[in-house]
Amino acid sequence: MNCQACTERIAELADQKLDRETEALVRAHLDGCENCRREFDELSHLIAALDALPSPKPSPALRAKVAGAIESEKLTLSMESEWAERVRSAAPERQARGPSWIQVLVSGLGVAALVVLGFVLGERNATQRQLADLRVRVDTMGQLVEQSVLQKRTTGDRLETVLTAARSTKPDERIIDGLINSLAFDPSVNVRLNALSALYGHADQDVVKAGVLACLPRESNPLVQISMIDFLVASKAREASPELRKLSLDATANNDVRDSAKRAIDLL
Amino acid sequence: MPSVPAEIPVLLPPAGIEFPERRSVDTTAPLSDHDLMLAVRDGDLDSMGELFERHHGPLFGYLAKLTGNRTAAEDIAQVVFQRMIKYRHTYRDEGKFTAWMYHLARRCASDHFRKSSSSPLAVDPSDLEDHADQSEGADQSALNRDDHELLRRALGRLDRDDREVLLLSRLQELSFAEVASVLECSVGAARVRAHRALKALRETYLQIQKENPA
Repeated sequence: MNCQACTERIAELADQKLDRETEALVRAHLDGCENCRREFDELSHLIAALDALPSPKPSPALRAKVAGAIESEKLTLSMESEWAERVRSAAPERQARGPSWIQVLVSGLGVAALVVLGFVLGERNATQRQLADLRVRVDTMGQLVEQSVLQKRTTGDRLETVLTAARSTKPDERIIDGLINSLAFDPSVNVRLNALSALYGHADQDVVKAGVLACLPRESNPLVQISMIDFLVASKAREASPELRKLSLDATANNDVRDSAKRAIDLL
Repeated sequence: MPSVPAEIPVLLPPAGIEFPERRSVDTTAPLSDHDLMLAVRDGDLDSMGELFERHHGPLFGYLAKLTGNRTAAEDIAQVVFQRMIKYRHTYRDEGKFTAWMYHLARRCASDHFRKSSSSPLAVDPSDLEDHADQSEGADQSALNRDDHELLRRALGRLDRDDREVLLLSRLQELSFAEVASVLECSVGAARVRAHRALKALRETYLQIQKENPA
């Protein structure tokens, strides 16, 4: 062992954190090297002084603020859970779907997914009234989420979360829920586009197709709208045709969006 | 990159409300930090109260020494716990809680320094000394107090990177491998950086001693 390797391990030697073999090597070097021995004496003294430096204590306000943050999050979860229960009771035919469905219902980020899951499960029998009702709930949840979650985080923060989810090699339901949630409610176009991009890897899942379809009517940015239309075409979501037809006829919609919707109808 | 949202609104509990006691610790040995965080991840938010009790002291001490500013340290510590709650789903099964917490703390501190658009202020000894643990301080000799003050000033004069690696490497909760993971570098690089920082501290300490002969 040379001098550099020896002195770099002084702190660990002083802390007795070295494995036996390395410790023996360091001690053997110290025995034969006066310079390193002096270095060890000086630095281990300094380390002891550093460790003995009294730490200040936080004020009681820190505990109160963190307790408040915990209670706030519990309240949000409880509201989401309550809302999910209302959806479940409003759709008794879905109760036979089993525990995995209930787990999705009560999961922290699963609220938006409940809506889209409702679309999937009720797809065949849903009436226009039910669809309208679910859209209202999406909007209601949008307001809740915007107030309770999104405003507390920066765009960079949220984008990082979405990109992390996109990189996940084996995303679970919760991550997909989170991505749909971001696509539906995130105020940043960049975040929504990245969430949509991340969902491409799961475009074969019905819940993802239904999620994107549910988000389309509330989307106002033409770039995101066109990207969503492209997604629905790529995922062969034929059930999107009525919504696309409606969009293609919407006089208030951007012309490029209307053209995209028309092309998508032809393709589907 | 995220900034420190010191303005995050929180719902303060009514006066007298404390963290609820954990339901699952009464019959068995205390749960590990990792188990508690997994419980938080799975929706048992009360477990975060226990994690707070265990770790807020060392975390705050680290941040106070890093920033040299009690108010900033408290704001950052608050944000760290808020982010742990918010990003609980990103906690990995194979992770170690303290390494994850200090990783978040490092990011929050970086946001703070960037927001304040300068390196941290040199440690103001009076700021920290006034609030130092009085039970320990009462037993300290005047000489020790002077030594502490000199050391705090030396610490405050170090580059932020040096101070960061030095303080992290002195945390008993972290091994060198974990310090390396917090710093996102190799173990060898972390060891070299910590040693270099220690030597810089010694030089600065001696320099201050020369400037202020007893």
